[in-house]
Amino acid sequence: MTIRRARPDRLQHFRPRMHCLKKLEAVVVEMQSGVKGSEQKLNVTTIPHVITGKDVIAWITNKMKSTTEESEAFGTMLVAYGYIYPLQNHRKLVMCNDSSLYRFQTPYFWPTQKWVAEDSDYAIYLAKRNIRKKGLLEPYEQAHYNHLHEWLNHKWDFIVMQATEQYKAGKERRKPDRVVFDCQERAYWIVNKPPRRTHSAMDSGLELLIDPNSDEKIPFDTYRRMNLFYQQAIMSSKVKSSVSLGALNKYVATYKNHDPFLAPCLPSNPWLTDNDSYWTLNMRQVEVPTKMRVERWSFSLFELLRDLRGRDDFKVFLKKEFSGENLAFWEAAEELKWGTASSMTSKAETIFKTFLVPGAPRWINIDGRTMGLTVKGLDHPHRYVLEAAQTHVFLLMKKDTFFRYLKSPVYKEIQKKALNPEAHNFSPAQLEHNAQNRSPGIHPLILWQLAEAEKAKAAAASVPVDVKALMSKLDRMK
Amino acid sequence: MSSRWRRSVGELALRGRQRGECERAQEALGRVTSCFQQLAVSLGSSADGSFLRDEMDETRHLAQRICRGLSRRLLRLLSDCGPAPSGVEDRQVSERLWVLFLSALEHFLSDLRQAHDLIGRFPLRQRNDRRSLVNTGCMDGVVAVAARVASVQAPWLTMEEEQSPDLTNHIAELEAMLSEMQLRVPVAFWSVEATQLAGAERGGLEGLQEGEDSLEELMEGEGGSRRPAFCCLTCV
Repeated sequence: MTIRRARPDRLQHFRPRMHCLKKLEAVVVEMQSGVKGSEQKLNVTTIPHVITGKDVIAWITNKMKSTTEESEAFGTMLVAYGYIYPLQNHRKLVMCNDSSLYRFQTPYFWPTQKWVAEDSDYAIYLAKRNIRKKGLLEPYEQAHYNHLHEWLNHKWDFIVMQATEQYKAGKERRKPDRVVFDCQERAYWIVNKPPRRTHSAMDSGLELLIDPNSDEKIPFDTYRRMNLFYQQAIMSSKVKSSVSLGALNKYVATYKNHDPFLAPCLPSNPWLTDNDSYWTLNMRQVEVPTKMRVERWSFSLFELLRDLRGRDDFKVFLKKEFSGENLAFWEAAEELKWGTASSMTSKAETIFKTFLVPGAPRWINIDGRTMGLTVKGLDHPHRYVLEAAQTHVFLLMKKDTFFRYLKSPVYKEIQKKALNPEAHNFSPAQLEHNAQNRSPGIHPLILWQLAEAEKAKAAAASVPVDVKALMSKLDRMK
Repeated sequence: MSSRWRRSVGELALRGRQRGECERAQEALGRVTSCFQQLAVSLGSSADGSFLRDEMDETRHLAQRICRGLSRRLLRLLSDCGPAPSGVEDRQVSERLWVLFLSALEHFLSDLRQAHDLIGRFPLRQRNDRRSLVNTGCMDGVVAVAARVASVQAPWLTMEEEQSPDLTNHIAELEAMLSEMQLRVPVAFWSVEATQLAGAERGGLEGLQEGEDSLEELMEGEGGSRRPAFCCLTCV
């Protein structure tokens, strides 16, 4: 009496990430004769078939002719899938290349691609553990227990009965076998229902419509479509590979120091060290940006405008030059593109009045043809009505203002002021400490409030500069 | 009039006896399936062998006999219950038994499928196949489990003697039984409520728990002094 799944069964139960299990099982079976086992002496009994981590890794290195690091990773995967379980520190599913002890898991508890670990089995296990530990379950187990008691309430009597019977049946075995069985069961459930900070390999990922184990029969229609596709591909215009490779080369050379996979993040990558100073130093509103960030602004106008902190800097420069209307128009066009449909007509009107009407307070200087097209389009405004004008303005900024900005004192000053944080060097103990003291981060509400305050300030500051008033003021000053 | 009353009392008594029979059979089924699981856990490991597999077959046949009898009696109980106004509580008790039996059946079926898979993967037909068995640390010790199975008594074992199918047919038969039962009698299984509160089972087995602390120590003691101090901090 089980509700199998809440969503309708669209045959999406092939778990493709588990496709490797068949090969893993073959490897594990081969390991039986290869890895030497020894005995483990406990207080009252000895249990055979204990293996050390370094023996396993040596065997893998020998068989697969790989490096030690790869063998260590492979060994850790075997533990994470549950084929081997650690005897000491049973929560950490890693294979250490030293004399830490492991044991093979019995095939009954191996992971399978076909079936998921059942909730009612977990409930029976938890009830058994409850009996054995007289109610002292771990907090995460207790949470699961309460949840299952609620959801499986209709079969709870069965679960308790079965748990009692299994408990009694387990007691019938000899002591060393009982210890082994309990360790096996515990290891199985740690892999399938991992406690916090235990990383097991059982995440199922996306479930596919196609069974990866079955062979695919390609129907006739697919071949027809493939033919059409290739014919069209032959006819399409091409770029010379030397040209595209040159562009790729230039891109990689420019960005390679900024990629967190290829170059170390300064001060340290938060995903690796659990220390989030990298994120705090690179926030939206920070006073002094980091050197890497400032360098990135010089790559292209697109990068400069995309980073909002860079955009602020650019605005400061443009204010000095009294040519802020291009950027203001570009921003207004962005707002129109990304804004709500209801605000579109009003936004289009304000933009028209502010930027496009001849004699407007912030009149932008675009060529006559584009201006004509845009004005005509504004009769029936839609999201992309300003696309042509926005591109023109962007090109103007890119070809002229951007290079002047890069040579300006504003930019040079911010380059000098920029921070260059030192790289962290955490020891493993410090890394564990970091992992436990992770800060919860900034609440999104606070971020939103800051963004709103920023927008209000920008709106107040961008009151259109009346050119005539300014000129008369200058005259008066003279 | 009075004879009808006497007849319904008789019916009630009969139904009560049948329910008691079903409850005892349910307990027996639980015992047999848990022993089957203990045996199945050793499949493919170093403790696997022909003795184990024979024991599994015996256990399976016993479970099958109990299942067949229990399903027949439950079907009769719940399809008869309709016309006679024997009270809502009686019906509830019968429904609880129904749900318990179907849950046990599903659980046993999943164990059977798992065992079928494992026997397919580790067929012990030739001598060399023993080399592919996994060294799990279990040596044997299923003798006591087998004895426990042999001690199980179901109320109707002596009455019916039918042939015992092999594993594939067994699975097919149980699946057919499951779907037939679900189709024949409409029982709203979500309306059955547990009779025990959460955590009530921990107090129930006082006498059996003497050896437990040492077992826990043995399991934890495998870590010994090697376990780093901050392991406990991560155990949240």
